Amino acid sequence: MNVGGAGGFQFPRWTNWLRVGLLVALLTGPPYLVLLVWLGGSPLTTDVGYQPEQPVPYSHALHVGQLGVDCRYCHTTVEEAGFAAIPPSATCLNCHQRVRAQSPKLAPVRDAAAGGAAVAWVKVHDLPDYVYFNHSAHVRRGVGCESCHGRIDRQEVVRQVAPLSMGWCLDCHRDPDPHLRPVDAVTVMGWTPAEDRRVLGRRLREAAGIAPSEQCWTCHR
Amino acid sequence: MAHDYWRSLEERRGLVTPQLDPELARYIEDELPPATRRSFLKLMGASLGLAGLTSCRWPRELIVPFTKRPEGRTPGVPQQFATLMEHGGAALGLLVTSFDGRPVKVEGNPLHPSSLGGTHVWAQASILELYDPDRSRQLLHRGAVARREELLAFAEPHFAALRARRGAGLAVVAGESSSPTLVALRQRFETELPEAWWVADEPVSWRGQELASAAALGAPARWLLHLDRVRSLVVLDADILYAHPNAVRHVRDFAATRRGGDAQGRLWVAEAALSITGAAADHRLPVRPSRVGLVGLHLAREVAAQGVALPAELAALLAGELPPLEPAAQAFVRAAARDLVAHRGAGLVVAGPGHAAATHAALALNAALGNLGATLTLLPAPAARERSLGDLASALEAGQVETLLVLGANPVHTAPAALRIGERIGRVAASIHLGLRVDETARACTWHVPQAHFLESWGDGRGWDGTYGVQQPLIEPLHGGRSALELLSLLLDAAPASGHDLVRASFVRLHAPKDPETAWRLALRDGLVASSPAAMTPAWRSDPASLAAARERALEAAGDLEVVLVPDSRVWDGRFANNAWLQELPDPLSKLTWDNAVLLAPATAAALGVRHGDVVKLSLAGEVEAPVMVMPGQAPGTAVLPLGGGRTAAGQVGDGVGFNPAALLPAAGPPPLGGLRVSPTGRRHLLACTQDHHAIDRVGFRGRELRTPEIVREQNVGEVHESGHESAHADDAPIFRSPELTGRNQWAMAIDLSACIGCGVCAAACQAENNVAVVGKAQVARSREMAWIRIDRYFMGDEGNPRVSFAPVACQHCEKAPCEQVCPVAATIHNDEGLNQMVYNRCVGTRYCSNNCPFKVRRFNFFNYAKKVSHLRRMAFNPEVTVRSRGVMEKCTYCIQRIERAKIAAHNERRPIADGEIVPACAQACPAGAIVFGDLADPESRVARLHREGRAYVMLPELDIVQRTRYLARLRNPSPDVEEA
Repeated sequence: MNVGGAGGFQFPRWTNWLRVGLLVALLTGPPYLVLLVWLGGSPLTTDVGYQPEQPVPYSHALHVGQLGVDCRYCHTTVEEAGFAAIPPSATCLNCHQRVRAQSPKLAPVRDAAAGGAAVAWVKVHDLPDYVYFNHSAHVRRGVGCESCHGRIDRQEVVRQVAPLSMGWCLDCHRDPDPHLRPVDAVTVMGWTPAEDRRVLGRRLREAAGIAPSEQCWTCHR
Repeated sequence: MAHDYWRSLEERRGLVTPQLDPELARYIEDELPPATRRSFLKLMGASLGLAGLTSCRWPRELIVPFTKRPEGRTPGVPQQFATLMEHGGAALGLLVTSFDGRPVKVEGNPLHPSSLGGTHVWAQASILELYDPDRSRQLLHRGAVARREELLAFAEPHFAALRARRGAGLAVVAGESSSPTLVALRQRFETELPEAWWVADEPVSWRGQELASAAALGAPARWLLHLDRVRSLVVLDADILYAHPNAVRHVRDFAATRRGGDAQGRLWVAEAALSITGAAADHRLPVRPSRVGLVGLHLAREVAAQGVALPAELAALLAGELPPLEPAAQAFVRAAARDLVAHRGAGLVVAGPGHAAATHAALALNAALGNLGATLTLLPAPAARERSLGDLASALEAGQVETLLVLGANPVHTAPAALRIGERIGRVAASIHLGLRVDETARACTWHVPQAHFLESWGDGRGWDGTYGVQQPLIEPLHGGRSALELLSLLLDAAPASGHDLVRASFVRLHAPKDPETAWRLALRDGLVASSPAAMTPAWRSDPASLAAARERALEAAGDLEVVLVPDSRVWDGRFANNAWLQELPDPLSKLTWDNAVLLAPATAAALGVRHGDVVKLSLAGEVEAPVMVMPGQAPGTAVLPLGGGRTAAGQVGDGVGFNPAALLPAAGPPPLGGLRVSPTGRRHLLACTQDHHAIDRVGFRGRELRTPEIVREQNVGEVHESGHESAHADDAPIFRSPELTGRNQWAMAIDLSACIGCGVCAAACQAENNVAVVGKAQVARSREMAWIRIDRYFMGDEGNPRVSFAPVACQHCEKAPCEQVCPVAATIHNDEGLNQMVYNRCVGTRYCSNNCPFKVRRFNFFNYAKKVSHLRRMAFNPEVTVRSRGVMEKCTYCIQRIERAKIAAHNERRPIADGEIVPACAQACPAGAIVFGDLADPESRVARLHREGRAYVMLPELDIVQRTRYLARLRNPSPDVEEA
C-alpha cells in the first residue's frame, strides 16, 4: 500500500482491476435484475397454463358449457367451507348409472364407487401451504367463479388461467368493484351486467359492507 | 405491601449473571465446533446451491375425494365429538376436534360437570400420545411377533381350564376405573372366577381418603367438594387443585371465590411439598407429612375449644394428651380454627389420602360446623375388595399365581423395587400384558397385546360426581389395538363382544331408556347422561379400633429426612413419560423440564451440604442416584420425590429421563417414611430449568424489587391500587407512532391473576393448537424452548415459606409494539384490528424483534424442528396453522386461525361476531376461566369490562406501548388473626 508520502493518498495499483469489475457489473447487473423480475412474474413461475392430465377425462366444457350443470351440483361445499370439494364418485354415478354407464373412460369412477381405490385427481389450483384461502368467504360476497377460474364452460381440460400470486390477490382486494356480482350470479359463466360493472360493483360492495382485508394474517397464519 | 420478589434461589443470591454458566459454555462448544473460514465458506456455498435447486418446480398434489361422502361431513371443516378420558379413576368429559377424520385437538366438554369446558395437561397432551411412534404395533409372544390366532389358540383352552378351576391361580392387575362396563365385567369375573384375584395398581390414588372415611362412617365415602360455596377452606396436605381426579372442576369452583366481593374465600394450606394448592393459599404452613395428622387433631381441638361440639363418636380423637405443635404451627391452627368457626356452613376441611387421622378430624369438623351437606357431599364408594401389589408379590413368590393378566398397568416400573415384581412376574407360566407400549411390564410378561388408545376405542366412565359418560372413539385403532373391555370379554365370553356392543349394552342396562337408539344417540352427542348418584346420609358408624390406630399413627414421629412421594406434575406416575409435550412443559413450581429431581428445602440442603444440581445417592430400602433441586417452601427435614422418572422402556422420548423413586421404597408399610439417607457423589447434573429464562427484568437485577411489582401485581382484598395502565411519562412525547386501528373489531385479552393457579394447561393447549415445536433438554437448557405462553412464577419473601405468584405471559400485542420498530424486513407489523402480526415468509431471522421485546415472548427457530417429525406424528399437526421452519421468529397470535374462522362464519351469515364466540386455545383450556378474549370495540364485551376493572393493569406501564393484554391483580385475603411475617 502506498499511503501517505508527499503526494498524499494514491490508489494502489491493484485497484485498477476494480474498473474492470465495475464494467462487468454494469453490463450484467441490469439484465440480471430484468431476468429476475421477468422470471418471477412469468407463467413459468406462477404456473399459469398448468393443465395436468386427469385420471378421468372429465370435460367441464361438456358438462357446464353444453349441459348447463351448475358448479355447485358437484362442488357442493363451496358456499360453506374453505375448500370447494371435489365431488365423491357417488355424485358422478347419479347420472352415469344410466348415461354412458359402460363407458371405459368412466371405469375409475365405477371402480371407486364399487369399493375400489378412490379416484386421485391432480390438483390444478395449488396455493402454497402457508396460504389459507377460503372459497365461502369469496363466493358468499359475490366474487364469481369465473374471476379466478376463467371460462370453465369452455375448458375441455381444466387449466390454471390466473397467476394466483399474492400481487394478483391484492389487486382485487384493493379494488374489488369490477369483480363483484349479485350472489345469485356467482356461478354464471360469461355473465355481463346491463350497467357498468364498476358502478354495480360499488353498489353491491356498499350494500353488503364488503371490505376486503389487506392484512397479512387474513391469509397467512 | 413490602415486596421482595425472586424467581429462583440462584437469582436471589445473585448466582445468575449474564455470564455463561460453564456447563452451558461446554454445550455451546459442542454445538459450534471450531470451524475454519474455508470450511465455513464451502458449507455455505454448498447449501446455497442446494437450496436454489430444490425450489425450482411446483409439487404435484393429488386430491382424493370420498367415493361416497358421509352425511354431515364437509372436507376441510373440523368436527367435534364428545368423549371421555379417564385419569386417576374418574372421567373427564372432552370434546375432541377431528380434522378430516383425524383427531387434532382436545377441549373440555362444557356440559360435563367434571370439566365445564376446562381440561388438564394430560388431556391436552393425549393427542400426541395417540400418534406416538413408539406405541406398540404388534402382538408379541416372548418378544417375537405373534399372530392373533396364536394368542387365541393359547388363550381359549387356557381360560376354559381356568374357568373350570373357578379361577384359582389367576390374578388380574388393573388401575382404578370408573367405567360401569368394566365394573359389570369385573362383577361377572368375580362370580365366575371366585378364586381369582383382582389386584389394584394405581400409584397415585385418592382411594385412601375413601377408605379412611370408612373408619368413621362404616362405609367408604367419596368426598365431593363444592368449592364455590366455601369461604374458609382448610387443606391438610392435599393437592386438590392439581393432583386430584376432579381438579379441573375444583379449579373452576375455587376461582369463583377468588375474584373479590362477597364470594371471596380464604385458603389455609398445611403441606409438606409446595403444591399448586399451597401456592394459591392465603396462609400456608410447611409441615412434615408425619405431623399432618397432628395438625388435624390440633385443629379439631382448637375448634372444640371455641365451643363447637364435635360428634360424640369422633370426640375420642381428641382424648388424652396431644404432643404440642411448634409456635408457628400453633398460631396457624388457632387462626384457621377461628376462621372456620366464623364461617359455619361455608367452611371446609379436607385432608389428603395418606392421612387417616386428619381425614377423621376433617369429617368431625365438617359435621360439627354444618359444612356437611353444604360444602361437602359424601357419595357412596365401592368397598375395598381388591388386593394390593404387596399381596400379589407374596402370592407370586409362593408360586400361587399361574396366570397373570395386566390391563394397562405398569407395576414393574411403579411398584416399590423391594417387591421385585418384575423378577417375580418372569416366573409366572402365562402372563398377558395389555398396554399402549412394550413397557417394563410387557418385557417381563410372556404375551403383549397392543392396547387401543382411549381416542381409538369404546368405553364409558363416571365423573368424580358420578355423572355417566360415553367414551366414543375418534379414529379406528391405528395399530389394531384392543381395549381392556374387549380383552376381558375375550376372557369371560365364549363369543367375545365388541367394545361398542359392551358399552351400549351397559348403557341400556343402566338407564333403561324407552327408546334405546335415540337415547344412545343423544348420549353420544352430549357425551354424558345427566345423572348423579344419591348422596350418602352420614351415619356415624365409627370403628373405634381403626380410629384409635389412625390416631396412634398420627402421633408417631418419623426419623429425619422424611420421604414425600408426589406424582410428577407432567408425567404423573411415569405413564406419560414418552410424551414430549409434557416432558418439555415446565413443572408449575420448580420450572424443571425433561427431568425429575429430589427436592430439598434450602435449610435441609444446607444442612446436608448439597447444592442445586449435585447428584446424590439416596438410600432407604434400596438405592438410587438423583440430582438435587433446592426448592423453597418445602417443609424442612423432608425430601420430595416426584414419581415417574427413570423409565427404561417408555420409548425414545421417555427413556432415561430422571430417576425412579420406587427403587428406594420398602416392600410394605404406609407412610410416613423417615430415615432417608443422602450422600453426595461429587458429580453434577444439568437441570433444564426455565425459571431464569426470558427474564423481563434482565436490565438490572438491582431494580428487581422495584420492577417486579409492576410485572406481577397483587393486592389484599379491600385495598385499592392506583390504576396502572397510563404511562408514567404521560407528558413526554410518545416515542412510537400509533398504528391505524381502523378494523371493525379490536381484539384484546384479560388475564385474571387471582383466578390463575399456574397449572400450565394454557401452555399445553397452545402447544397442541399452534404446532409449537419440541426442542429437547439440551436446547431448553440454552433458553431455546419454543412455548408461546410461559407461566412466570415468582416467589416473595421468606425462602422457607415464600408466597407464590404466577403470571402467564404471551405476546401482549402492544399497539406501539417495540418489535415492529426494529424489524428490517417488515416481517412483524400491525394489523388494523390491533394484532401484532408475524409473517414467517418475510422473516430473515435477525432476532432484533426478540431483543427489543420487553416481555421476551418471541421464540426463534434455531433448527428445523419439524424435519425429524415422523409421518405418524405429523397427523397431530393442526392443519390451520403453518409449521415453521428454521430461521424464523414466531410468537403468540391470539390464535388468529380461530379469529379468522369465526370472522368468516359471521360475515358469511351477515351478522356481527358475538362476544365469546372466539376463544383462543389457552382460554378454552383454562380450568379457572382466568383468560378472557374479546373485542374492545364493543364496550360491553367481557374483555372490555375487565379492562376497566380496578384491578386491571398492564405490565411495565412506563414503556407506554399500550398492550392489548391486561392483567387483573391477584387478590390475597389474609386473615386479620395472623401476624404478617
